[in-house]
Amino acid sequence: MKLFVKIFLWFLAAIALMVGVIIFVTRTFQTAPMESRWQRATRNQMQIYGGTATQIAAAEGENGLRTYLARLRDVDPPRDVELVDSNGKVWFGGESETPESKDLTARTFASGAVETDFSSEERSLGSAPVTFPDGRKFVLVLQWERPAPQGLFWGSTLGYLRLGGLLITALLLCYLLALYLTSPIRKLRHATRNLADGDLQTRVAPNLGIRRDELADLARDFDEMAARIESLITSQQRLNRDISHELRSPLARLNVALEIAKQKSNAETAPILERIETESERLNEMIGRLLTLAKLESGDENIERVRVDLTELVRDVAADADFEAKAKGKSVELTKAAQCVVMGSENLLRSAVENVLRNAVRYTSDGTTVDVQLAANNGHATVKISDHGGGVPEDELTNLFRPFYRVGEDRTRRTGGIGLGLAIAERAVKAHKGTITAKNVNGGLEIEIGIDVAEARTK
Amino acid sequence: MDKILIIDDDEELCELVSEYLGVEGFTVECVNDGEAGLNAALKGEHDIAILDVMMPKMNGFDVLRALRETSQMPVIMLTARGDDMERIVGLEIGADDYLPKPFNPRELAARLRAILRRSADTSDTNANENLSVDGIELMPAARTVSLGGGDVNLTSVEFALLHELLKTAGNIIKKEDLSESVLERKLSPYDRSLDMHISNLRKKLGPRGDGSERIKTIRSVGYIYTVV
Repeated sequence: MKLFVKIFLWFLAAIALMVGVIIFVTRTFQTAPMESRWQRATRNQMQIYGGTATQIAAAEGENGLRTYLARLRDVDPPRDVELVDSNGKVWFGGESETPESKDLTARTFASGAVETDFSSEERSLGSAPVTFPDGRKFVLVLQWERPAPQGLFWGSTLGYLRLGGLLITALLLCYLLALYLTSPIRKLRHATRNLADGDLQTRVAPNLGIRRDELADLARDFDEMAARIESLITSQQRLNRDISHELRSPLARLNVALEIAKQKSNAETAPILERIETESERLNEMIGRLLTLAKLESGDENIERVRVDLTELVRDVAADADFEAKAKGKSVELTKAAQCVVMGSENLLRSAVENVLRNAVRYTSDGTTVDVQLAANNGHATVKISDHGGGVPEDELTNLFRPFYRVGEDRTRRTGGIGLGLAIAERAVKAHKGTITAKNVNGGLEIEIGIDVAEARTK
Repeated sequence: MDKILIIDDDEELCELVSEYLGVEGFTVECVNDGEAGLNAALKGEHDIAILDVMMPKMNGFDVLRALRETSQMPVIMLTARGDDMERIVGLEIGADDYLPKPFNPRELAARLRAILRRSADTSDTNANENLSVDGIELMPAARTVSLGGGDVNLTSVEFALLHELLKTAGNIIKKEDLSESVLERKLSPYDRSLDMHISNLRKKLGPRGDGSERIKTIRSVGYIYTVV
C-alpha cells in the first residue's frame, strides 16, 4: 500500500479511536452518575410535593389544593398530575391513567412512602402519599416526559453538525498530514529514480521549500551525494574524452611521419614499419571507440528521434558483416527478418547492431555461421545475434558490457578485440531505453537487443 | 601540378602532410585557421581543399558552408574518428569525401587523386556527351546540371554520381560499381558515404512532379534512376 494511504488511514484510525474513547468515558463516568443523582433528586422532589400537598390541604382546603395541583401540572415541561384515593377514585386529573400509574399508586398505598418508576425510556412516574385533614388517604401521581439523554453526535441537528464537523476536520487533517509527510519522500524517490537513470543534475532540496526536519536533511544529503557523483563522473568522462582527443593529434602526425619513412625505406626496414603501422592502426581504433563511448556515456549527444526501418538496418549490417566474415572463412546469416520500425537515432542503432555482430563474427569458430534474427511482437522488436564461439562463463555474462572487460586474456590477443564494442552497443541501446542481455545458448553466446517499436503511423 | 590547400590548426601535421604529398607530386599550401582558410579557398587558386573539422574560431563545417555558397571546389573533410555525426554532417553540407582523423596518408593521396581526376574529367570523350533525361540536362563539358531550366549546384561527387545514374537510366547500377567508378575505391563494409551522397542528390533534385522518387534504392543491390 502507498505510504500516503497508510499514513492517512492510520491517523484517521487514531482520531476515530480517540473520539470513541471520549464517548465511552463520558457515558461511563459522567452520564450514569448524573442519572442516579437525577433519580434521587426526583424522589426528594416527590417527597416535597407530597408533603406540600398535605399541608396545603390542611391549610387552604380542597380548593387551595386544586390550585396547587394545577400549578404543578402547568410547569414547563407540562406534567400529568392526578390525585387518587384509596378506592381508586380520581380526585384530580386522571386523563392519563395507565397500568403503570395504577401499579405505582397501589405501591404507595401499600408502603405509605414515595415510589418512583424509571423503567420506561419515555415516561417517568413518581408517586407520593397525601393525607387530607379529615384523615382520608390519597396518592399524588406525577407523569412526565423523560428528558432524552442528549446524544453527543446523533439524535439532534446539533449532534449531526458536530459529527460532520469532526469528520471533515479529521479527514482534512489526516490528508494534509499524510501529504506533508509523504510529498518530500515522493520527491526524493523521483530524484533518486532520475539519478539512477543517469540524470546527474537531479537535485531535491530546492523543491522542498523551507523545511527544517529530518526529511529536509535527507534531501540535502542526497543532493550532496548527487553533486559528488556528478562531479566524479563528469570529470572522469571529460578525462576520457580529453585523453582520447589529445592522443589523436600526435597519432595523426605519427601516421604521416610513418608514411614518409616508408617512402624512404629499404627492404630491411619495411617490415618493421609495417608493424608500426599495424600498431598505430590499433591505437587509432581504440581511441575512436573510446571517444564514441565517452560521448554516449556523457549523454550530451542528444539523440534525435526519427523513424528508423530496423529491418533494413539489420539487413544492411548483416550483409556488411557477412562480407567481412567471408574473408575469415566464417559467415553471417539473417534467418528471420520481421518488419519493424523504431524511433531513434539510426547511427546509434546501427553502431549497436554492428558492434554486437562484429563481435560475434570475431569470436565464432572458423567455418561456423553467426545467426541473426529480427523478431517483432507486442510492440517490441528483438534482435538476436548468436555465435558458435564456445560461449562465456556464466558468472562473467553481465561483465561483458563493461568497457575493456575481457573474457580470458589469450582469447583477446588472438582475436584482436579492443573490448569496447559491447560497451558501446550497450550504451547505444540504453540511450533508446532498450535492453541488451547476453546468455549462453548451444555452445555459443547469444546477445539479445530489445527495443520498443514505433507506433504505427499512416503515411 | 595539382595545388592543394590544407586547412588545419595542427601546424606540425600540416608540415608532415606537405612533405608527404610533395613527394607524391602535389603542391601544398597550409593555412592554420578557418577564416584564413576560407579566404584562401575563395581565391580559387587551388584545385582541392583538405579541411579539418576541429578548429578554433571557425570550425570546418562553418568554412565548408560559407565556401559552398559560391564555390563547388572539391573538399575532403578530416573528421574525428568515432564521430559518425561529423562525418554525416560533412557530407550533407557538401563535402566530396571524408577521412577520419588520424588518417592514413596513402589513403588521403588516393582520395585526392580520385576526386581530382573526376573534376578534371572533361577531356573524357565518352563522358562528353550531353545527357538529357526527364527534364534534367547534364553537360559534362561545362560540368553543369540544370533541372527545368534552373541550375542545380552539385559537388563533383554528386555530379559524377548523377552522370553514372543518368547514363544507365532505367537500369540498376550496383553499389560496388558506383563506388569504384565514382569514389574510385572498392565498396567496403560499413561505409555509408555512397548512401549519403545519393541522399544529398535526392534532396537537391527533389521528387518528380507527381511526387515519385527519381532515384530508387534497390535494397542490398544498388540504385536505379527510374524512367517514366
